[in-house]
Amino acid sequence: MSVAVAPAVVAERSVAMAGAVELVIFHPPSAVAVAPGQFFQLAVSAPHTLLRRPYSAAWSDPASGRIGFIFNVVGAGSAWLAALGEGDELDLLGPLGRGFDIDGQRPAICIAGGLGIAVFPGVVHALIARGRSVMVLQGARTAAQLLPASRFAGADVQVSTDDGSAGHSGSVVDLLTQYFAPPLGEGRLGAVDILTCGPTPMLTALIDAARRHEIPLSSIQVALETPMGCGVGTCLGCAAPRLAGGYLLTCQEGPCVRADRIDWGLMTDGFHG
Amino acid sequence: MAERPDLTVDLGRGLCLRSPVMVASGTFGYGFDAPEVDRSALGAIVSKGTTLRPREGNAPIRIAETPSGMLNAIGLQNPGVDHVARVYAPQWATWDLPVIVNVAGDSVEEYVAVARRLSGVAGVAGLELNISCPNVESGLQFGIDPVLAAAVTHAVRAVTELPLIVKLTPNVTDIVAVARAVEDAGADAVSAINTYVGMAIDVRRRRPIVSRGSGGLSGPAIKPLALHAVWQVAADVHIPVIGVGGITTPDDALEFLLAGAAAVQLGTVNYVRPQAAAEIHAGITAYLVQRGLPDIRALPIRPVSALAHV
Repeated sequence: MSVAVAPAVVAERSVAMAGAVELVIFHPPSAVAVAPGQFFQLAVSAPHTLLRRPYSAAWSDPASGRIGFIFNVVGAGSAWLAALGEGDELDLLGPLGRGFDIDGQRPAICIAGGLGIAVFPGVVHALIARGRSVMVLQGARTAAQLLPASRFAGADVQVSTDDGSAGHSGSVVDLLTQYFAPPLGEGRLGAVDILTCGPTPMLTALIDAARRHEIPLSSIQVALETPMGCGVGTCLGCAAPRLAGGYLLTCQEGPCVRADRIDWGLMTDGFHG
Repeated sequence: MAERPDLTVDLGRGLCLRSPVMVASGTFGYGFDAPEVDRSALGAIVSKGTTLRPREGNAPIRIAETPSGMLNAIGLQNPGVDHVARVYAPQWATWDLPVIVNVAGDSVEEYVAVARRLSGVAGVAGLELNISCPNVESGLQFGIDPVLAAAVTHAVRAVTELPLIVKLTPNVTDIVAVARAVEDAGADAVSAINTYVGMAIDVRRRRPIVSRGSGGLSGPAIKPLALHAVWQVAADVHIPVIGVGGITTPDDALEFLLAGAAAVQLGTVNYVRPQAAAEIHAGITAYLVQRGLPDIRALPIRPVSALAHV
């Protein structure tokens, strides 16, 4: 393992969408090294906080040496990060974990709920760069909380909102299932790769829908979010229940895992901010 | 400039460390996964708690951050002693850094079996008996009763020549009584302390955050408590005391050494600042140089009987 702590600098801070901050970090080695779906542990210095905060890279640009992180404020640590501005120093540990498997020829559907969309700009860019056909399905509470479709150049972007203020009114999982047009032919949906990230209830709804429509769970990759301590496999805090029994560590075997490896009945939610 | 001060530590039975800065059990895995740091500052690695059979650990959620601290209820997830002896120890044997295996169990027989399996295995530099893990069904009871603590120490002592450290729990009325009991039973050193039992509740979900309800509290939040435990134990026992609990900075480590610890273990800080060990080693060195002290044995602010002998 050759992960090291590195001081980096905030190059830019902006509002990505309502309620979400985007920090752009200048750190060329990390921008080159990170793969889509991998994460970093960001050190925070808010009073009385202790642990680093794990965030997936939203995107990276090796040419300019920049990495983007998109997040909302859910606690003291994320509030401290959100208050950083251009020129401030930030201590990064990473890139960590396993990203999405983006190789292959099949069309890809990226489906995200809430802040789960934060991992996808770089993922979609990498998929498009490989010549793959990409559909982005994004769900949010309101239209203002959607990441603009311009962040997914080359992809077919469709949205859902809980309040109906944009796109389909309802769950983003509904949006997906409408493409599972019955009757389900053998090949059609097996020929799609589904990449997802979002709150646990959304993920379990997605898994249920996939089972109902006989979509193989092995074709679904999930970017897991669990409470996390070290991020490198020493604290054993980020356990996720494995279908085969026991637990996998989100930080080492994930965060991106095939959905058929997880015991979704035992999956819990909740993490510190 | 005077000669470089001597930071070596003798924990007894031939276990000599080049540095008083160790890493605590459960915060460094088995030495293979931690981030890249300069390990020349480390005196020893203490492994994750290891049991006779592999254990899957507790269901999530296993950890929670609390003010300046962290609760954990991992539940001794580990691959079992056989895997440790067959796969990990041969790699440790090639390192220039001693690895001490933290041993856990539910019964005296289990501790003895694990100790036996590790005895004579190249790469295993010593044992640290975890008689105080708060996150499994039994385990803790050995550490809270001087008689049981002595019994498990004595039984392990009888089957191994390895240096034997006993890690004390602070969740007791009289930690000195337990320390004295394990010293009399043959421990070469004690680590003080393991985590404090604590809890946190998610007020929105109306349930404890950690799935087991309670967990072990570590981090800066417990440092003053740990320091006081070390202060008490070091005044009473005649074996080296390893101070552990919330150490984050060089001054934190110096406080423990001044209180009478022969060495220190870094725990939760390893998750946050992997470079802390090197900084703490450098800070201790600078402190000794500034005061013209020849070695760390000159640090305790009261006479410490254990250190007078080594």
